[in-house]
Amino acid sequence: MRYVKWTFFTIIAVLLFSFFHYTLPQHDIVRIVGTENRRIDFGENSFFWASPDVGTSAATNRDVRFINAERPNGRIIVYRNEDTGWGWPPYFKLDSSNLQAEAQALISTEKANPVWVSVTHYGWRNEFFTIYPNAITVTQVEGPEVRIIPWFNILFFIALGIVLLMLWRMWAQFRERTIDPTLESIGDTIDEVDARADGLWARFKAWLATWKGKPRR
Amino acid sequence: MIAMIRLAVFGFIGMTIMYVLLSIYSRSTRREALEKKWDADQGPGDRDEFIAAGMAAYEKGLRKKLIWLVYVIPTLAVIAAIYLLNFA
Repeated sequence: MRYVKWTFFTIIAVLLFSFFHYTLPQHDIVRIVGTENRRIDFGENSFFWASPDVGTSAATNRDVRFINAERPNGRIIVYRNEDTGWGWPPYFKLDSSNLQAEAQALISTEKANPVWVSVTHYGWRNEFFTIYPNAITVTQVEGPEVRIIPWFNILFFIALGIVLLMLWRMWAQFRERTIDPTLESIGDTIDEVDARADGLWARFKAWLATWKGKPRR
Repeated sequence: MIAMIRLAVFGFIGMTIMYVLLSIYSRSTRREALEKKWDADQGPGDRDEFIAAGMAAYEKGLRKKLIWLVYVIPTLAVIAAIYLLNFA
């Protein structure tokens, strides 16, 4: 039973961690080496793609903008650049065309004189599903060693903690003020009914006794 | 446009649920505080009347109005996010 419990909690924890790791913004310091548009036919990976540009209609395939980049350690990373619009995750990104132009303006192919940018993104790169992180903003930074403090994530988890604490307080208050008194009163009622039933039972037995005939001679 | 309306409708439903829950909670804590205050002081006057007067004051007070922030803060956050992520 203990293993079942711990397996269950582990699965929940992994799911929560994955959810936040996928959805919350992260920053990469990279050098943009190119941009492109490709037509994507969404298949079983369609879950990991966002929405078409706001105002345009959805179809089974569409052109998606991509930003190719190289990390300071020489490994490459490819971002998609899609609107999230009014849907999930709530980045309200409406400007993927503008972002593509910004990224193109920051292309730096000279290794000797690199332009480093911080790409804010969410999502994962996974070759098995052909999925890409979605770039949200690009900003030029001094160099690859710039330290970026994830203020949004810090504030988000503080706010989440406050909301959860508040919900827990509400539940505690509700239980203390509403459920417990009700249960008590139900308990009292049951006791009363029980007492009355005892009385009834005694009277019923007495009544039965009146039917007992005198022993036959 | 449909997606935006959908977000507005579901957001409104969510915020309304939060508003109702917070209203109930806030009123309950206020009543509990009034009860405890009367029980500690054994006065003034009748217990039920004291609590009724205190609750009437709560219904007119600032604290109840502050619960409307449940609607204001998320709306402002969404507007701020749209501005900062697209136009800043």
